[in-house]
Amino acid sequence: MIGLLLYLLVGIGLLVVLWLLARREGAPVEGCGRQFVEARQALRTLQLGLLPENLIERIFDREDFRYVMAAGPGEISELFLQERKRISLMWVRRVRCEIRNLMQFHLGYSRLHAKLSLPTEIRLALDFTLLLLACRALRILLNARGPYGAGAVVGVMTAAAGRVCAASEKSLAFLNPPALESFRRNSAGDGAAI
Amino acid sequence: MLSLLLWLAGMMFEFLLLVRSVQTKTFTKYFYFYAYILVVFTVSAALFIGRSLSSPFYDAWYWPTQFATLAMGCGVVLEIVRQALAAYPGAERFARRASCAVFAVTFCYVEWHVVRRTEWSTAAATVELERDLRVIEALVLATVLAIVFYYRIELGRNVTGMIVGFGAYVGVSLTTLALRSFVGPRFDTAWALLQSASFVFGAAVWTVALWSYSPNPAPPPTERNDAGYDALVHGTRAQLQSVRSSLRGVARS
Repeated sequence: MIGLLLYLLVGIGLLVVLWLLARREGAPVEGCGRQFVEARQALRTLQLGLLPENLIERIFDREDFRYVMAAGPGEISELFLQERKRISLMWVRRVRCEIRNLMQFHLGYSRLHAKLSLPTEIRLALDFTLLLLACRALRILLNARGPYGAGAVVGVMTAAAGRVCAASEKSLAFLNPPALESFRRNSAGDGAAI
Repeated sequence: MLSLLLWLAGMMFEFLLLVRSVQTKTFTKYFYFYAYILVVFTVSAALFIGRSLSSPFYDAWYWPTQFATLAMGCGVVLEIVRQALAAYPGAERFARRASCAVFAVTFCYVEWHVVRRTEWSTAAATVELERDLRVIEALVLATVLAIVFYYRIELGRNVTGMIVGFGAYVGVSLTTLALRSFVGPRFDTAWALLQSASFVFGAAVWTVALWSYSPNPAPPPTERNDAGYDALVHGTRAQLQSVRSSLRGVARS
């Protein structure tokens, strides 16, 4: 009986995968230049849009909440908390989206390499999956504990941002070193938290 | 009557495919695939003529020829792996190793079952062999498709058609063979019809998809040196480590 179920599972599973293949929309063949631009864009979004020190401090700082609590009635505090929660959740969603972008970049480039290592790719796939799951867990945490249940995010994320961006620079360096160098010079002192 | 119609329809599609392969000169491009179609067409035509002449001929030759087409079917899977990932050496290597692992594990599992069995019958053994080979083909196809989805590899119409047609045939065969072994001989009529119908469906898909030559879109020309991959892996790992530690910090807070 178990054997029958296994065979049925494989057969029906294959038919489902084929159905997905038939339904798949034709993904554009990404050129090297486009990959570079997208990866660079993901990096810049992390630097400028999602991880600037002042933005993160503002979202997760308790000072604003204390001020509203002291100055306004309870309804306003309640509304304020709801809004902050919404913003922090939106922020986690965007970070998740950028992780996905970096993942797409890695996959888009690594598939072309003859030296591609099976264990390394499996480990990386696992890491990406775990990270994306962690983002989801963080969303649950923020939902359950509210925006100030994640107070230490500011310092940790700021430090992590520096490492993320430095590593990404290194990862992108081999793609187009002269272009990267000009990007690096142009992006200095742009107000990012790194 | 219905089975006869399906048989004739299958042969018609096979013949069309062979004619078009000569006209469009795709025979050399998808050699194993067309070799499979040629063998299946020859076997079908010979059995069809043989059956109308004498029934014992059909009975004597059905299982040996079935085995030959089964073996040729593995060539189609190899052709699909080769064609789908030809332009992506890394992904192709990945698929080849994963497929070998799938094959080895399934083969060992089947051998273990054969060794443990006490009774032996040619028809039953061939049906079981077909089911086990279909499992291998299905798992290899699923592995290739997983890689195609994961690395977002774009496939041309020819290869997509090959995969959909053959995959549908393998999927339906596997499901019906499993049900046959469970339900028993009373499922035989339905089994034969479903298997023939799935093959005709596959052949129709192949005929449409391979009507003209449509190769896979070429990947972008890019640097493929080994140092590049090492740098990429190093960079990706470092990024993952950073994001992971930041998320851990948030979770602890």
